[in-house]
Amino acid sequence: MVRIYVIDNGGQWTHREWRTLRDLDVETRIVPNTTALKELQKDHIHGLVLSGGAPRIGLKGSLGNCAEYLDAAEFPILGICAGHQFMARHFGGKVQPSKTPEFGQIELSLCIEEDFLFKGVPKKSIVWESHNDEVTHLPKNFITLGESENCKIQAMRHRDKHFYGLQFHPEVEHTQYGERIFQNFIGLCEE
Amino acid sequence: MFHAERFVEKSISILQKEIQGKALIAFSGGVDSTVCAALVNKAVGDQLIAVHVNTGYMRKDEPEQVKQLMRNLGLNYRYINASTEYYQALTGVEDPEKKRKIIGEKFIRIFESVGRKEDIHYLVQGTIAPDWIESGGGLRDTIKSHHNVGGLPKDMKLTLVEPLRDLYKDEVRKVARVLKIPVAERQPFPGPGLAIRIIGEATPERTKVVREACDIVEKEIEHAAAKGLMELPWQYFAVLIPIKTVGVHGDKRAYGNTIAIRAVQSVDAMTCHYSTVPHEVLDTISTKITNTLKKKVNRIVYDVTNKPPGTVEWE
Repeated sequence: MVRIYVIDNGGQWTHREWRTLRDLDVETRIVPNTTALKELQKDHIHGLVLSGGAPRIGLKGSLGNCAEYLDAAEFPILGICAGHQFMARHFGGKVQPSKTPEFGQIELSLCIEEDFLFKGVPKKSIVWESHNDEVTHLPKNFITLGESENCKIQAMRHRDKHFYGLQFHPEVEHTQYGERIFQNFIGLCEE
Repeated sequence: MFHAERFVEKSISILQKEIQGKALIAFSGGVDSTVCAALVNKAVGDQLIAVHVNTGYMRKDEPEQVKQLMRNLGLNYRYINASTEYYQALTGVEDPEKKRKIIGEKFIRIFESVGRKEDIHYLVQGTIAPDWIESGGGLRDTIKSHHNVGGLPKDMKLTLVEPLRDLYKDEVRKVARVLKIPVAERQPFPGPGLAIRIIGEATPERTKVVREACDIVEKEIEHAAAKGLMELPWQYFAVLIPIKTVGVHGDKRAYGNTIAIRAVQSVDAMTCHYSTVPHEVLDTISTKITNTLKKKVNRIVYDVTNKPPGTVEWE
C-alpha cells in the first residue's frame, strides 16, 4: 500500500486532503509541520502533501520543517496553496500579495502539452481557490504548468524532481478534476 | 474508501471501552447528533441519556418533532425548555462570535447541571470534521466558533466523547443509512439555530419573523424539488437582515426589514456553490414571505455567494 502523509500547515482543507487520499486507498495520516524528516522516514513514506495554511503564511518566515523536507526528500512532494508558495520561496522564487485574490470558482488553463500530474485533465477546467498571496516569480529549475486569468502561476513543477506546487485546491469537492490530480500524484509516489 | 459498516463496528467497541458509567448526549435532532445518539445507544444502551435543550431558536414545531424522534429511537431522554434564559443571555448581543460562545457555554452549563443531578460524567457530542476545522486553534485560523467546539468553556467538568470527529456530513449520512435512521436526508441545522440567522440582536420578536420565513423557504423548496422543478439543495433557509427599505402596500408607504434566501449545493460543507433555484419558485417564496410577514418584511433578496468566499450560514 502506498503511504502518503499530509503535513498540516493549518489549512481549512488539510483534513480534506487526508480524506481524498484515504478515499483513494492510500495509507495516510495528518502530521504537524514540526515533525522531523527522520520521523517521516522511519515510517517509509512514499510521498508528502504540504497543506495550505492560515493567511499570509506563505509570505515570510519558516513553515515548520517544510524546508527540511524540500531539501532532503527523495520522494514526491505536492505543495498546495501556502505549501506551494513556500516551495517557490524556498527554491528562490518570489511570493507577493495577489493583485486580485481569488476565492471560489476559477478557470484553470494548462500551459503545457503534457505532464504526469495533469494526465487526463483537459486544457481548461474548473478549480476552486482561496488565496490572498501568490507566486509571482518562478524559482530557478521550475516550470509553469497552469495559469488563471488573475494568477499566472497556478501550477508549477521542479525540472528534475517530483516536486509540484498548486495554488488552487485539488482536494475540495468542487474542483472538477481534483481527484484525478490526486490519483496522478499517487501514481508518482508508487514509482 | 469510507466503510460505514466497519465504522459502526469499530466505534461500538471503542465506545464500550471509553464510556464507564452514565453518559449524556447533546441531542438537537439534526443528522449528526441523531446518528451519534443511535451509535452510542447501540454501544452502551440505557447508560445513555439524550438531552434536548429548546433554546428558543428552534424552527417551527421543531421541539415537538425532536421529542417524537427521541421516542422513536427508543432513547432515554430529557427535554429542557431554556428559551427564556437564552433570550435573556443574548439581549443586546450583536457580534456573531459572542452569540455563538454564549450559546455554547449555556449548553454546557445546562448539561453540567443535568450531570450533577443524575451522576453523569461523560458528554457525547455529534461533532464532525468541519466543526473543529472551522473553530480553529493552533496554526488554524478561527472562521467561526462552532458551539460544540470553540464555544466550550475551558472549565468544563464533563469528559467529552466525540465518535464522529473525523467524519464529514456525507459520511455521517452513510452511517445513518446503515443504522436505518430516518434523519439521513435531513438538511443540516446549526446548534445556535435561528440566533445566527438574525443579523444583529436575536430578539424573540425577530426570531418569530425568521422562523416564519425559514418555514416558508423550506416548504416551498421541498415542494418544488418534489415536483421535479429543481434539485433539493444541501441546505436552504432564510436570514433576517434588520435593514429597513421602502415599499408600498396598498397605496401606502411601507418601511420594513429584508429577508435573504440562502440555498447551497455541497457534499461536505467545506466548499459550496449557491443553488440554482427557478425564478418561479423564488417568486412564490417572495410573495408568500412578504404577504405573511406584512409590516415586518417588504423586501426579499437571493444570496448568490459561494463558499469560499462566503460560508453557508451568514454568521
